[in-house]
Amino acid sequence: MKLIVGRERARGRVGVVGAGAVSAFGFGWRGLGEAVAAGRPGFAPSRELAASHPGTPASEVPPIPDAEDAGDARQRKLMSRPARLAAIGARKALVDAGWREATRAGRGAAASASAPSPIGYFLGVGASGASMTEVTALLRASFDDRGFSVARCGEHGLNACNPLFPFQILNNFTLCHGAILEGLGGPNAAFYSRGAGTVTALLEAAYSILEGDCEQALAGGADSALHPVTFCELRRGGHLQGGLVPGEGAGLLALARIPAGASITSSAEPGAPPAPLAMLEACALESAGSRGLQGAYDAAVASIPGEAVDVVILAPWGDAPRRALHDRASVSFPAARLIDMSAALGDALAASPALAWITALDLLVARAARRVLVLSAGIDGDLGAVVLAGVGSGPEGSAPVHALEGSS
Amino acid sequence: MSSAVITGVGVVSAFGFGARVFFDALADGRSAVGPIRSFDAATFPTRVAGEVPVQAIRAALLAERLGDLAAPGALERWEGDGMLRDRKLAFGLIAAAEAWRAAACGAAEREASLSLALGLEQAFLEDFEPFFRVDRGSPNAAPAASAEVDWAAEPGAALPRVRLRSPVDLCAQVTSKLLRLEGPSFVHTSACAAGGLAVAHAAALIDRGAASIVLCGGADSMVNPFGIGGMSRLNAPSPRNEPDACRPFDRRRDGLVIGEGAAAFVVEHEARARARGARPLARVLGWGSTQDAYRATAPRPDGSAACAAMKRALERARLAPEAIGYINAHGTGTPLNDPAEVKAIRGALGRHAEAVAVSSIKGAVGHLMAASGAIEIAACLLPFEHDLLPGTAHHRERDPECDLDILGERPRRATVEAVLSNSFGFGGQNVSVVLGRCAS
Repeated sequence: MKLIVGRERARGRVGVVGAGAVSAFGFGWRGLGEAVAAGRPGFAPSRELAASHPGTPASEVPPIPDAEDAGDARQRKLMSRPARLAAIGARKALVDAGWREATRAGRGAAASASAPSPIGYFLGVGASGASMTEVTALLRASFDDRGFSVARCGEHGLNACNPLFPFQILNNFTLCHGAILEGLGGPNAAFYSRGAGTVTALLEAAYSILEGDCEQALAGGADSALHPVTFCELRRGGHLQGGLVPGEGAGLLALARIPAGASITSSAEPGAPPAPLAMLEACALESAGSRGLQGAYDAAVASIPGEAVDVVILAPWGDAPRRALHDRASVSFPAARLIDMSAALGDALAASPALAWITALDLLVARAARRVLVLSAGIDGDLGAVVLAGVGSGPEGSAPVHALEGSS
Repeated sequence: MSSAVITGVGVVSAFGFGARVFFDALADGRSAVGPIRSFDAATFPTRVAGEVPVQAIRAALLAERLGDLAAPGALERWEGDGMLRDRKLAFGLIAAAEAWRAAACGAAEREASLSLALGLEQAFLEDFEPFFRVDRGSPNAAPAASAEVDWAAEPGAALPRVRLRSPVDLCAQVTSKLLRLEGPSFVHTSACAAGGLAVAHAAALIDRGAASIVLCGGADSMVNPFGIGGMSRLNAPSPRNEPDACRPFDRRRDGLVIGEGAAAFVVEHEARARARGARPLARVLGWGSTQDAYRATAPRPDGSAACAAMKRALERARLAPEAIGYINAHGTGTPLNDPAEVKAIRGALGRHAEAVAVSSIKGAVGHLMAASGAIEIAACLLPFEHDLLPGTAHHRERDPECDLDILGERPRRATVEAVLSNSFGFGGQNVSVVLGRCAS
């Protein structure tokens, strides 16, 4: 399935007007493109895994300064790590887009019970990331000399952990905490993502804008592979042995409807919406099914003219899809520069596609690229292809780019 | 108006296996909430549930239900891999297979996409045993209070595929594989709103031309120690461990009852359905989603965000409020949800709120969490198929705060042309879906 924005012009187009990113490179997105393109790895021994798997190299978000953090201490007790990263990323995207002043959060505590803003919010999320401190407390009180005891769990285990602990477990709270803190009341959905699910979040956000459900939306992903249980799963699945470096982060694009006929390069008119930083030109999701990843790739990129893409960012989940996509993209886009995002940011699971879009955005804004294709794929075989295009002149003084006219 | 129609339905519920069993029970006004049997819940604060009447999921049960859809030996491998411990996997598969067959889908329908609402991972607490240093010397000894998880103790070989917890999308993976679906899979994880969103998403894919047929729905089970225990810690379930623990819109309501099960639908473009002779059961007319953006622990008391979801669903359906003949409410039976939903219905339907029939099936089958929206959309087929509006099990005493036309325990005979289903999730996610009668 494809969204080719050029074909939706009657309903306007979708522009990227801001972004928020949390990654091993810090709290922000400016400079992410340069760092990733340079292949500068943000790897260091993980603090999150220090107790369970000491010395594990990871792409880990730096210690979170108070000024960057989400919510207060009480609210953070309800958050998994991905939820906390998502909430920080959402706030930064709202600020970057200039929207936060209009949101409830931007209007301060007195407005906390007032109506939320109609901004949409769509997120690719991963597995539960509940604190192992709580899980350990529950388990410790639930074992007897024969092992785990259901009876002891009911009698003692439940009371050993924080009663609000389930809020850390529910996958949708990776989205909901940010929505609650920031007052985002528009259309919304959380999609489980092994890579491609995060592309669904972008597709649904774009369609929500084009179909009139909202004028503005955040879309992205948040996840952490630095949870002991997730780490065990990655090891058991052979991914670590295959070279996967566990990562984490959150990436949010602030998307807005650009009315049909509106200029995408200027906002000189009073009251005009801010000019977009980039345009969402195409977004496709294809299933491998019986045709395999290569067949899905061919279907996804069929309508993207090869000469128009000057950078391809590879952000799949796992090593085998990465190698396969590298081989295909180097044939389809021989003149394009191929960037392997995992070399710098590891595998941040549901967050990887979104961090790749933001990497693309930074390259476009820095005029280091004119049109960037981001390829994502999960181990479930689905493949996502997203094209972001710069506005204004490219690195060689080219004319403003135009929306692709493709076919689905 | 949407071109998406429902041509097949499958249900697994506390009433048993099959859509027919489910519809018959609703038509009889029965309830299936009772003591938990799939594990010993004697020490748990919550000991009743809307539990699917099967104690343990075995390969034999799936073989009986799936028939020749399953490859030889596959189900036994799944059992050996520990996959069947996650009850929702079996429920989702069985419901999907029923819907697929009911819609007479074959090889030509394998182009279908999959849009499935799934609950959180099931945690297998017993799998953590190797990680704990347990003093096995004395009877009833627990690990020392200082004991920490010893992660280095994970056995190095011969581990089952599913261990510690089940992958969120496990049911979607096996459903897609079992039915050999060629389209992309979408896994909705929006808690109690996920089922409604999954069906709405299917209709949206059809209307956009991104798919011509979608298998959709939801499956969930929190009837396990971690699920029941976690919800109990939140004080969400009724403290009364009685079959009538969940009493939606009743003055005496005091909490929800956890349920489990699945509902699946084949949703396809009407022209496609008619061309292949599939009978449309209902049309998915419209939908809308919003976020409360209020609190993690409570719904927005004025119901304004839920109201906005309903209004958007009506707007998409291009229907006036007066066109809605029945509302299948989220109706959890909690003190806060039900009056907030009544306010939302009043806001969305205006004066027509006084006339519209409202009920909740959660008293009968429990709260199916991620699958609740899906099974409640299945219940919304009853008016179109049998001219019956499902009743509200255990609703006996009217509450002045919930002063709408709340149906009592018995179903009501009525012919309606359009119905609305509400699903409001933990965390504030709301979705409303409008269904319409199809011309025969």
